Amino acid sequence: MPDSPEARYRHIPLRDLDGDALLKLSQQMKLSLSREDMLAVQKIYQEEGREPTDVELEVIAQTWSEHCKHRIFNARILHRVNGKEEVIDSLFKTYVRAVTEKIWKEKPDFILGAFVDNAGFVRLDDERAVCLKVETHNHPSAIEPYAGANTGLGGVIRDILGAGKGAKPIASLDVFCFGPPDLEQNQLRAKDVIHPLGVMRGVVRGVRDYGNRMGIPTVNGAIQFDPTYIYNPLVFCGTAGVIPISDIQKEVKPGHLLIAAGGRTGRDGLKGATFSSASLTTDSHEEDQSAVQIGNPIEEKKVADFVLAARDKGLIEFVTDCGAGGFSSAAGEMLSEVGGEVYLHHVLFKEPMEESWQIFISESQERMVLAVEEKAMPELEKLAAMFETEIFLLAKADGSQRLKVWHHDQLVCDLHVEKLHEAPRRELKATWRDVPERQPRIEVRPQSWTDSLKTVMADFSIVSREPIIREYDHEVQGNTVLKPLAGAAGDAPQDGVVVQVPGSAHLMSLGCALLPEWGKTDPHRMGRAVVDECVRQLVAVGSDPDRLAILDNFCHGNPDDERELGALVECTKGMAQAALAYGAPFVSGKDSFYNYFITEDGPVSIPVTLLVSGIGIVERPEHVTGSSLRRSDSKIGILGGCARGLRGSVFGKHALGCGLDAAPDFDEAQAMARYRAYHQMVKNGLILSAHDVGEGGLAVTLSEMAFSGKGGVRAAIERTPTDADCSLAELLFGETPGRLVVEVAPEKAEAARAAGVVFIGNATPEPWLHFSYQGTTLVDAPVNELKSVWKNGLKTYY
Amino acid sequence: MPHALLIKFPGTNCDEETARALENVGFTAEVLPVALLDESSLERTQLLVFSGGFSYGDYVMSGRLARLVTQNRLGDRLKQWVADGGHALGICNGFQILSQLGLLPEASLIHNTSGRYICRWSKLKKTGKTASPYLAELPEEFELPFAHAEGRVVTPGKEAEGYVKSGLAPLVYGEDVNGSTARIAALQDETGRVFGLMPHPERFVSRAQHYDPDWSAAEQGWGHYLFLGVAKALA
Repeated sequence: MPDSPEARYRHIPLRDLDGDALLKLSQQMKLSLSREDMLAVQKIYQEEGREPTDVELEVIAQTWSEHCKHRIFNARILHRVNGKEEVIDSLFKTYVRAVTEKIWKEKPDFILGAFVDNAGFVRLDDERAVCLKVETHNHPSAIEPYAGANTGLGGVIRDILGAGKGAKPIASLDVFCFGPPDLEQNQLRAKDVIHPLGVMRGVVRGVRDYGNRMGIPTVNGAIQFDPTYIYNPLVFCGTAGVIPISDIQKEVKPGHLLIAAGGRTGRDGLKGATFSSASLTTDSHEEDQSAVQIGNPIEEKKVADFVLAARDKGLIEFVTDCGAGGFSSAAGEMLSEVGGEVYLHHVLFKEPMEESWQIFISESQERMVLAVEEKAMPELEKLAAMFETEIFLLAKADGSQRLKVWHHDQLVCDLHVEKLHEAPRRELKATWRDVPERQPRIEVRPQSWTDSLKTVMADFSIVSREPIIREYDHEVQGNTVLKPLAGAAGDAPQDGVVVQVPGSAHLMSLGCALLPEWGKTDPHRMGRAVVDECVRQLVAVGSDPDRLAILDNFCHGNPDDERELGALVECTKGMAQAALAYGAPFVSGKDSFYNYFITEDGPVSIPVTLLVSGIGIVERPEHVTGSSLRRSDSKIGILGGCARGLRGSVFGKHALGCGLDAAPDFDEAQAMARYRAYHQMVKNGLILSAHDVGEGGLAVTLSEMAFSGKGGVRAAIERTPTDADCSLAELLFGETPGRLVVEVAPEKAEAARAAGVVFIGNATPEPWLHFSYQGTTLVDAPVNELKSVWKNGLKTYY
Repeated sequence: MPHALLIKFPGTNCDEETARALENVGFTAEVLPVALLDESSLERTQLLVFSGGFSYGDYVMSGRLARLVTQNRLGDRLKQWVADGGHALGICNGFQILSQLGLLPEASLIHNTSGRYICRWSKLKKTGKTASPYLAELPEEFELPFAHAEGRVVTPGKEAEGYVKSGLAPLVYGEDVNGSTARIAALQDETGRVFGLMPHPERFVSRAQHYDPDWSAAEQGWGHYLFLGVAKALA
């Protein structure tokens, strides 16, 4: 394909426009820039003494977009909580970065990088670091589920390839929030919106086809179903990587060549960054198709092989991926300190491109940009030929502090790098009022607790994800030692996964948690509980509780709605509190706003949704601990007490009325002490298996352990530790955070008891579940009866 | 030390772990991007390995483009090299490529009956008395993981049953996992030196890779014994 024959750009006069006219211009050009932003742009050009080009405006719009600059997390927020006012000077600085900085001081050898690069790094061993990045691809997946999820995963894999001087992707995780799969078609209250089933199938296949072809095991994930996600499904894609510690530091210096590698450039994915920084409407389904990119995993596999080979040969000084904003943000980021010249006429096209700005901001996939020394070029060309990928000279760093973009002999963009990165700060208002606890409490006494357990077990938030997991190659690379499904038949659920890293004595664990139901009424507690659950999963599978790192990924509705923003603020505070208590630093994170949709019945926003994902270090292979019963003569114990409250629980959803009191509370400091004690027991070989108590409560946890296929469980739930007068429903189905159920061999029970385990029952040879309270039978059912409910719950829909 | 040459096509993605598994049983393993492959490459190796993955994306029939490129690079030299005593092992996508190259008994590998990609483990059974030398270190029944969308073996007539009887299909699944005729999981040529299988032995070379932490049927994972068999067959 020939390159564009000539530069096509124009000047946009705006120096003399008033605020209204500026805003109109922004809307006409779909820049997603506010009036204040446009006034700031105008000021730049008044100082420059000229009018901007369309290329420059597009570059500024991409760079200042919510997607790229996280302007809400950096805003100054006037927050009114329960009537009291406070000022938050940047959520990010206050509740994310400050937490990490504090923990970093305590763990300087462990945290090797946070927030500055494409992903955060933590030490795996003396030579290697592991890193994790999670991105959302919500808007594209709503419009085009297959392509949206496909490129969502493709994009985050490139983030890892562009972390440090190039990390090797070793595992992926994918988390989705969908509308209920059994939704009636006539309940869709907007034209052209895709039914949740269509979204789910498309998204899963998109992830499958990218991950499997790349040869990166998709090992971990979660799915939530709720009517609030019908119009705005959420798709989180994450990838973990491994890198030599000596390859983490990178720098672009004047004189470096910027080489683009990988796929060719086309008109797919125009304005993705600005598109994802606005709300969706029915029109989006018609008009914004071009904002969705088209994925080609083999193109990415080739460029990945090329980048990793080049890194191993020491040819890379800096590398980053082309994500949102395309070359404009990749080159913009790489030249943000030194400045330089970009050559659009060198770009290789997959289809004719007409406008200069399109070339610069196209989000065509599978492209990486490398900064290299000129003398490395012959070797790089050889490697590119070997791995059958294309490279060309995109730009040159020159120390001029200006971003100059040439298209043939025309200078189509000439911006001072500092001004380009100085987006005006936003000022926002938020408000929150705690939902009061309802008194007196409502006692639920169902006719049959066994039937209640079946109902909870059949809930979409609990049923097995097996139909989906089997479509992902979760074992490629041969390192997945704790798999997403395990047990005697390889089909029982696990808390997290563990992958070995070839060459290292240590292993890496992955986990993730989200509890959007809690966020509807108690976002602060949700923030705390989500951090806890992720930490607990990592600890449960055998990670060292003092060597964990977590990521915060927020999805939010309308930030201009004070109450919605208030929920976000409260959630962020809760999350920070728990992370500090656990010493679990945030090493990376991301946020996605404007997840609301104008339906025929008015706007529908998602509840504030926080995904916390994490990586942990498992010191030795013997520490890897699954969640499936291993013996039929073992003791079953619990760490952590039951608190009152069923609000937000799965049981609460089905027993209307009982979920109106508070969500259960817990104490992070005590939980952390338990996790350390648990880990010591793992190291001492006392633990056969362990499972966290999460959605569905203790009854679900015990049942799931028995899904192993090696026996049954008999438990006396009155032995569950509790300070409060908990109801039967709370004991069986309460979701108090901070708890782990453990399986211990009889001969080691004494040692475990001494370490704090409270035994509540034992494994049995007969595959039966029997839970009683002070001698009264509550649950009495064969394991397989519940297992088939659990195992087949999604089968009809996927 | 025997040498193994692993051909890497764009989209091949199991080459690293396959190379490690081969090194564990005493091979020197060399991963060679197909862009560097030529007739002379065959002179330095006793074993040619086609690893798993999605060569060229497998957007047309799986293995088809890889076959064309291989034929273009090696021409008739490949068949001659095999006839002269060379060994070839194809795993998953590599099996599909070997089959396309006409080095195995006539068969096609098409979409699983479920129409889905399937990643799980399965029991495998050795067939017939003329079992492959590659399988000599393995018991009659064992287990391996597999992961594929196009693993269903079909043959033009009733050959499939014949292959099982004659031992040209040396390995069958313990149950119907993908619709494969006669549950065929592997094929070998008359000499036993060309062998293709859908399951992934390189993913089960150590006990820790089994899904059940209490698995203890052998010292190593079953895949290790398959590679050991290959090494011994070459010795």
